[in-house]
Amino acid sequence: MVRLPYVTALTTLFSYGLLFAFGQLRDFFRRILDARKPSNLKGYAPICLGLEDFYTRRLYLRIQDCFGRPIASAPDAWFDVVERYSNDCNKTLHRTTATTKCLNLGSYNYLGFAAADEYCTPRVIESLKKYSASTCSVRVDGGNTKLHTELEELVARFVGKPAAILFGMGYVTNSAIIPALVGKGGLIISDSLNHNSIVNGARGSGATVRVFQHNNPAHLEEVLREQIAGGQPRTHRPWKKIIVIVEGIYSMEGELCKLPGVISVCKKYKAYTYLDEAHSIGAIGKTGRGVCELLGVDPADVDIMMGTFTKSFGSCGGYIAASNEIIQHLKLTCPAHIYATSMSPPAVQQVISAIKVILGEDGTNRGAKKLSQIRENSNFFRLELQKMGFEVLGDNDSPVMPIMLYNPAKIPAFSRECLRQNVAVVTVAFPATPLLLARARICISASHSREDLIKGLEVISKVGDLVGIKYFPVEQEKTTAVDKLKKIQ
Amino acid sequence: MGRRGEPYYVEAAPPVDVNKNTEWFMYPGVWTTYILLLFFVWLLVLSVSGCSPGAAWTVVNLAHFAITYHFFHWKKGTPFAADDQGIYSRLTWWEQIDNGQQLTRNRKFLTVVPVVLYLIASHLTDYKQPMFFLNTIAVFVLVVAKLPNMHKVRIFGINADI
Repeated sequence: MVRLPYVTALTTLFSYGLLFAFGQLRDFFRRILDARKPSNLKGYAPICLGLEDFYTRRLYLRIQDCFGRPIASAPDAWFDVVERYSNDCNKTLHRTTATTKCLNLGSYNYLGFAAADEYCTPRVIESLKKYSASTCSVRVDGGNTKLHTELEELVARFVGKPAAILFGMGYVTNSAIIPALVGKGGLIISDSLNHNSIVNGARGSGATVRVFQHNNPAHLEEVLREQIAGGQPRTHRPWKKIIVIVEGIYSMEGELCKLPGVISVCKKYKAYTYLDEAHSIGAIGKTGRGVCELLGVDPADVDIMMGTFTKSFGSCGGYIAASNEIIQHLKLTCPAHIYATSMSPPAVQQVISAIKVILGEDGTNRGAKKLSQIRENSNFFRLELQKMGFEVLGDNDSPVMPIMLYNPAKIPAFSRECLRQNVAVVTVAFPATPLLLARARICISASHSREDLIKGLEVISKVGDLVGIKYFPVEQEKTTAVDKLKKIQ
Repeated sequence: MGRRGEPYYVEAAPPVDVNKNTEWFMYPGVWTTYILLLFFVWLLVLSVSGCSPGAAWTVVNLAHFAITYHFFHWKKGTPFAADDQGIYSRLTWWEQIDNGQQLTRNRKFLTVVPVVLYLIASHLTDYKQPMFFLNTIAVFVLVVAKLPNMHKVRIFGINADI
């Protein structure tokens, strides 16, 4: 639930209207000017209709330099961003050889494993020498190394489930597993703000998809009751199975899922639950076991737990952890397991080492230190931002904090001004977020030191003043006003 | 707005509408922006051309007719490549809003606006021809296009299919 000043809502709508009007005007003139050019299509249909990519051509390309910036080093707390320039108003961008060292507030580097680590990196290099960079085969043929089986057992133990299965890509884990679990005649109920991979997987499965209001177990119950009573569309036969899909931390909101409420509703109506812990595994919870540990939910209550290795573990790929029967079924039916090349062995070793560090099995307490560091960092940063008057979303303990921008012009202003002051932030606009709710998303890492955070806060505060995004009253001013009143009294 | 110079806050709950082309219409401030925009365009026309207020309202009414007819009832599909497999590519924006539900608050508001504009323009021009005729055509076409019975109807196949 975001609160914005009414005037901001009006100006944001007006800005988008203006951008839309200008875009339509330019398209209109472009069509007139291009009417004379001979078409080289020769009877073929155009690849895309003019109206479909209107947003990309007229809005996104204008601020293209704020997205997709190439980096020239590992995404540690500080990294090198390649400078780019454009000669035609951002339609094409050219890289230069110059780089700037910037504070990294955008990478999902929650536990600091993205850069060289004293325990993980030597072991990864060893496994690279021993197993080489690619298995060049699928898991079922020759691509199942000792490391893969070791990691599957380790992940299952870490998460608290009997078995696990690995995939080479996090996005594919969702979009290939959901069709293998439920098909035509089944029902998928997913949270309205679920990630695109889940939406894609649900669409690709052929099952009926219904959406419930974000993080609202009461609405989930309403939707479940309505669907169970109604049955399949047209035939009204009972559903073959019902799966409810939620995420641990929603990456665009920074909010935690209301997992206990959702689990109790699902148990009542005998629906299966699928928890996507892409952003929460390894980053929250006392021992890093994710949202189940943080909210006190027994992992046995969640039927299927999914996660990725790209965020907290500094590697690539994803996993599914569930009961032995489900994992066995997936190993036999999921195309991402049977036809896709298996994970690269050094990447597998990186995850194994990272999990060992988190569990403390490497003989030190670095894991526990990292976990407490990221918790402290997130809470400190969020509190300071809120004190400065920014509108920051997300719950406490969550390392993802979006700062609301709203106006489309503030997106490039914030992004470019921060880069000029050597802080790299990620800004997100439509269509990843609703049209009016553009935001800058900060991801805090355990490798950020207190000085880094303070520098980040200073820069964001200065830029926030310039750009005008401090929508809430500054808390310090309130307390001094109260002090003044007390003095007068 | 608000007391002692504090801004007036509104809450923006995320709507459950999955169609990104229309969900922006469910946020607070949309109706006010629409009305303010019409009012400011009227002021602009009045200040640039120096005609009578009634003639300015007629100009606003006709421009509003042209623009809203084109964008609400003529253009089909979505202006961005949504991966919804083109389920909206045959629907105009009017047919997409509120998920195709008829007679919602948004639809009633959007139907009333052309009528109010028509009344203001006709009253201030004293119902004289030819402005009365043009205004009447504008309101007739717009209101008929917004009736629930016209959902997905293409008269004489005009504007049917890509």
